[in-house]
Amino acid sequence: MKYQLPRLARHLLAGGASLLFLLPVYWMFVSALRAPGLPPPRTVEWWPADPHWGNYATLFTLLPMGRYLRNSLLVVAAATPLTLLTASWAGFALSQLPQPARGRLINLSVAFLLIPASAVWLFRFQLLRWFGLLDTLWGLIIPAIAASSPLFVLLYFWSFRRVPGELIEAARLDGAEVGQLWWRVAMPLVRPTTIAVAILTFVLYWSDFISPVLYIYRARWYTLPVGLQLIRQLDSTNWPLLLAAAALMTTPILLLFFVLQRTFLSNQSLSNLFDRS
Amino acid sequence: MKPLAWLRPPAYRTQLWLLLLPYLLGTIVLVGVPALFTVGMAFTEFNGVARPQWSGLTNFQRLWASPVIRLSLRNSLIFILAAVPIRLLAALSLALLLQRRERLFGYYRAAIYLPTIIPEAAYALIWLWIFNPFYGPLNMVLAALGLPTSDWLGNANSAIMAIVLMACFQIGEGFIVLIAGLQNIPRALYEAATVDGASPWQAFWRITLPLLFPWLLLLTVRDIVMSLQNSFAPTYILTYGGPYYATTFVPLLVYEIAFDLFDFGLAAAVMVVTYLILGWLIVGLVNAVGGWRRDSEF
Repeated sequence: MKYQLPRLARHLLAGGASLLFLLPVYWMFVSALRAPGLPPPRTVEWWPADPHWGNYATLFTLLPMGRYLRNSLLVVAAATPLTLLTASWAGFALSQLPQPARGRLINLSVAFLLIPASAVWLFRFQLLRWFGLLDTLWGLIIPAIAASSPLFVLLYFWSFRRVPGELIEAARLDGAEVGQLWWRVAMPLVRPTTIAVAILTFVLYWSDFISPVLYIYRARWYTLPVGLQLIRQLDSTNWPLLLAAAALMTTPILLLFFVLQRTFLSNQSLSNLFDRS
Repeated sequence: MKPLAWLRPPAYRTQLWLLLLPYLLGTIVLVGVPALFTVGMAFTEFNGVARPQWSGLTNFQRLWASPVIRLSLRNSLIFILAAVPIRLLAALSLALLLQRRERLFGYYRAAIYLPTIIPEAAYALIWLWIFNPFYGPLNMVLAALGLPTSDWLGNANSAIMAIVLMACFQIGEGFIVLIAGLQNIPRALYEAATVDGASPWQAFWRITLPLLFPWLLLLTVRDIVMSLQNSFAPTYILTYGGPYYATTFVPLLVYEIAFDLFDFGLAAAVMVVTYLILGWLIVGLVNAVGGWRRDSEF
């Protein structure tokens, strides 16, 4: 843009806003290090005098956090690959289908996207009961069979549409089946989209709080978000412990973002955010 | 590839439909059908186990007679009317500020996006600490600056504002979408405006805002629908609807009615009425700003 603030003012404003948005996360990590039993700080504590890492270990002795962690990992380990499979299948098929079927299916997907999750809670509960999936991890995983969100199908569709048609046409003339076209020709060309959808799916299932609250009753199958809620009920004034639980749950997502950020860079739709230049 | 599409043997077409099947069938069963049946459920008496009994408009009469349900509708509307404009304005200002391709700006954008990816349950615990009236960082910062402190979650008036404040830090989605929208605006338009002697202010009102308009409208509509639903985790973990029902929003109350009181019919009726009100709000908004196609003057 032609019109701009002076350089220093720009950086001060932008940097200030960034710091403000980092503050909640920073406070979480710092307050999780305070030794338990100490009276809470009387002023804002920017770094604990004596960092206490033991809070993280206490979490696992106070509650079966290990089991909740395992359940959460099972859910994302099943849901993420499944979503990648069904979303890329559907996206590929959409990009190959002729009009008007394609246009209609895309309109349908957008319509599905507008239906809020809370509008389907009540009946989905009944569905899961009929299928016998209530109170099992499968009840949490099952949306992955339907690509988790029409958004992921649309992301794949947009990426596959950029693949040159001659490439697929040529492979087809060589006698490739639809499965081979999808796996050998199309998928390698949209790797950034696969990574973006994988991250978004991971975050979706890892963070899901509502589904386990609605559909899981036995403590055996609780996932991490429910564990966090239990700690809050169990020991609601033990701040370092509560925040250690929050940090435990947030860290995998932060790591995922930092590790895969470089691959994000090559994705058109998401590169805007992480572009270094 | 498009002109040759009709030459394809039908077998290939069938294979494509097979690839679509899990997504289409799954979404219809898990999203489409439940959404429709929830509407039907609103007209029945249904405890979740026995066969639903047709009950006509009884649930809607009970809904109207219940002060708590009316209060939750009112609270939800207040929440939406407060949160959506602030969230949108914040996302827009930050997108305008941070859209530049300049050193460090990638890090700034990542920082703004960060709170959005924190899991709901963890995010709620963080704010429970921040809002703590005695030891929470927020009141300490306010006190250090000589500003008035507050009870936050302990007080009926400030509790709703506290939930709004939390929601204003998770604006990453709108922020990225608006940056993408800004970068889609052709540079040549600004250059032409400069040549014509337009001020930055005029360029913003005449170029940026009209071209960004469809994106803003889309985000507003989406935010109205999503804000309501995203209020579930914070109200469940932070306040459980209190103090004195001040943060009892529709999703939490529907959860209580259905899964604690096993009155699925009434819960469905509350959902139906809520989404009718939101639909009316959205249609009114779209009409008020002149429809989707205002950008067509370009």
